[in-house]
Amino acid sequence: MTARVTKLSPTWCPGCGNFAILGAIKAALDQLGLEPHQAAFVYDVGCSGNMADFVFAYGFHALHGRGLPPAAGIKLANHNLKVFVIIGDGGGYGEGVSHLLSLARGNHDVTVLVHDNFLYSLTTGQKSPTTPKGQVTPSTPAGVIDEPFNPLATALTNSAAFVARGFAGDIPHLTKLLVAGVKHRGFSLIDILQPCPTYNKSRPYAWYREHIEYLDKIAHDPADLEAALKLSLRTDRLPIGIFYRVPRTPWHENFTLLKTGTLADSAIDKIDLTSVLDEFK
Amino acid sequence: MAKFNWQIAGAAGEGIKVSGLMMQKTALRAGWYTYGSTEYPSLIRGGHNTFSVVAGDQPVNSGQVKIDILVDLKTSQIILDQPLKLPLAELANQSGNFLTKNTVALGASCALIGLDLAIFKQMIAEAFAGKDQSITVQNHQAAQLGFDYAAKNFADKKLKLIAPGRALKNQIMICGNEALALGAVAGGMKFYCAYPMTPVTPILHYLAANAKKLNIIVNHAEDEIGVANMAIGAGFGGVRSMVATSGGGFSLMVEALGLAGVTETPLVIILGMRPGPASGMPTWSGQGDLLFAINAAQDEFPRIVLAPGDPTEAFTLAKAAQNLAEKYQLPVIILADKNLGEGYYTADQPPAGHTNQRYCLAKTGASPEPFKRYQVTASGISPRPLPGRPGGIFLANSYEHDELGYATEDSHERVKQMDKRLKKLTTILASDDLIAPRIFGPAKAKTTLVSWGSNKGAILDALPSLPNTNLIHFAWLWPFPLAQFKALIAHQPRLITVEGNATGQLSKLIAQQTGTMIKDKILKYDGRQFYPEEIIEGLKKI
Repeated sequence: MTARVTKLSPTWCPGCGNFAILGAIKAALDQLGLEPHQAAFVYDVGCSGNMADFVFAYGFHALHGRGLPPAAGIKLANHNLKVFVIIGDGGGYGEGVSHLLSLARGNHDVTVLVHDNFLYSLTTGQKSPTTPKGQVTPSTPAGVIDEPFNPLATALTNSAAFVARGFAGDIPHLTKLLVAGVKHRGFSLIDILQPCPTYNKSRPYAWYREHIEYLDKIAHDPADLEAALKLSLRTDRLPIGIFYRVPRTPWHENFTLLKTGTLADSAIDKIDLTSVLDEFK
Repeated sequence: MAKFNWQIAGAAGEGIKVSGLMMQKTALRAGWYTYGSTEYPSLIRGGHNTFSVVAGDQPVNSGQVKIDILVDLKTSQIILDQPLKLPLAELANQSGNFLTKNTVALGASCALIGLDLAIFKQMIAEAFAGKDQSITVQNHQAAQLGFDYAAKNFADKKLKLIAPGRALKNQIMICGNEALALGAVAGGMKFYCAYPMTPVTPILHYLAANAKKLNIIVNHAEDEIGVANMAIGAGFGGVRSMVATSGGGFSLMVEALGLAGVTETPLVIILGMRPGPASGMPTWSGQGDLLFAINAAQDEFPRIVLAPGDPTEAFTLAKAAQNLAEKYQLPVIILADKNLGEGYYTADQPPAGHTNQRYCLAKTGASPEPFKRYQVTASGISPRPLPGRPGGIFLANSYEHDELGYATEDSHERVKQMDKRLKKLTTILASDDLIAPRIFGPAKAKTTLVSWGSNKGAILDALPSLPNTNLIHFAWLWPFPLAQFKALIAHQPRLITVEGNATGQLSKLIAQQTGTMIKDKILKYDGRQFYPEEIIEGLKKI
């Protein structure tokens, strides 16, 4: 059996959705047949990012909100790597939302797992961009004033080529989404509904089970952007599954230089500037 | 020394810079050493733009306050000791194309300076190659009309200059930004990432336009934060990368600077300084970011800070920076400014062929264990596996970490890793890589000007007028070359710093590092670079 985790024990709270997401990652890597050195994970800062110490693969634990640009850089350096981003709703949809739009529009070939627990949990439970309006948190004692951020609608209207939502309470389903996201050539966003038993008491596993709806049971066509957008706007139910999937050229495939090999392997031992020096004469 | 300063002035959008560059290259091809600089406000149409070309039969390295010939497109005048009316519109219309006003003015300038019109006509042919042949014909006609008009009507005004009478075969005309870009490519840079910001936008334009020829990838990313973090990702992946920005963008990159420091990821940052703070004076020059570059980002980690003084140094240091960043696994900051970046110099043509080696890449096997990426070593440098290779699995971590990269809050591990990282500074200072401050002029002098970066040009041009004076020029500022600087100043009785900032940042750095207090300073912070005349005047006032 291929080693998927390190010898370090996860530090998450009992019942945290991150355990299940890690389980789905392990299963997906197995199903994809990836050796540990063939994958690179970029971790944002947050409870989700603390996964950095536990996954046995090349890893880069980035700055808060800045998990996405290094992932694009790693994919550019070695496009043979499968690149994952482990990020939360704070880093992905708040501090780093400009990078999310940029990677989606550019179709950088990375798989983004947003551990969406609707709170900033590592900083003890303040509101996040996805916290429902009115919810009381330590930073919003009178209730959240802002309307929540809609990640799926945002991704869909910004040309994300693969948009899905999963649930940390259904590992086999989430595993399927991960495998599909990695196999998709280009940017893939997987928003993962994740209970936080410590700080988000209003949304335990049972609440999610009552509110989710499996897309594969309602005959949704993932090629239909308008239908996907409509589904992303629903608030009474939370559909999970693949909302949208469309083939589009990944960012790095726009460069002829990368057709013959990776950028990291392109030779630098002999550089010849002859072709550009004449114009300065 | 034969020398002249020609300037063209007009509104933005009138082709001032293009005309200035053509004039400069004409002078270069006629055997003159040149320095060209442009002044322009931050707008696209209107305002007042200038381009001036200082040319000499001996090397010139800077601008000049005194103007010998001023072409004023707004009033259709050529101003020497007095304004002369030049019928630009009429002559342009005679050429068959009223858009050739600037060419008429340049043709007239050639007559007044004594530049061979055939060289200028060749420049025109090259500039309009690929366009309709009639454009070249009309511009040739315009150049001739301007030349003939000036030769006939202003014969007594012609500058009394002895032409150099020899060609500069191995010299090219290049601006600092182009030299930085080419130097980086020579040093193996494969990825350039940037967000446009004056005065380093020309690096982005140059590299983007030439990316295919140079076999590099260029990306204009969403913002400076994305720029720096993407470059760090590429660096982690094994690609030599560079970014460039000005002070505002660098401020946004500062957290990523610390990330490169703690993850020990190679990264080269060009910081093209301009007057600040905040948006400041975008299209002007300054040197206010020296201490910022040395101290930016929270807590302490090693970095290298360089400050080239001319395009030749810019090329050499940009190439060296790529190697230094990889060898020592740290961020390297190259301080530039508008004076260097957008100044066009006569420089020796850099060599076309360059060789590079990779540094400190780990040999990995098939070990199923995590790799000790941050192994404590005597030099502070640890072997670095590249992602994708079997047996090299490690975690690069923005958190404090142990030798494997896993996060730690253990006090001993923390101290071990801090000491390991900071050890690299000692290693660098003891290495051949260090570029010591250098003396220009007599080895020993009554007065020593101490300066850094692009001031080198103006000071070199002032030195011939300053008896018993020399220059100590810093092209490498951090880690501070303490021993080398102390040795240099041991026999210099009087030190005066010359800097483009308001408080004397190099003086402060020298005081902090050596205990030597330099109280005499020549400082300039009005948004303009130093002119040689100002160095001479400044010395008189002390």
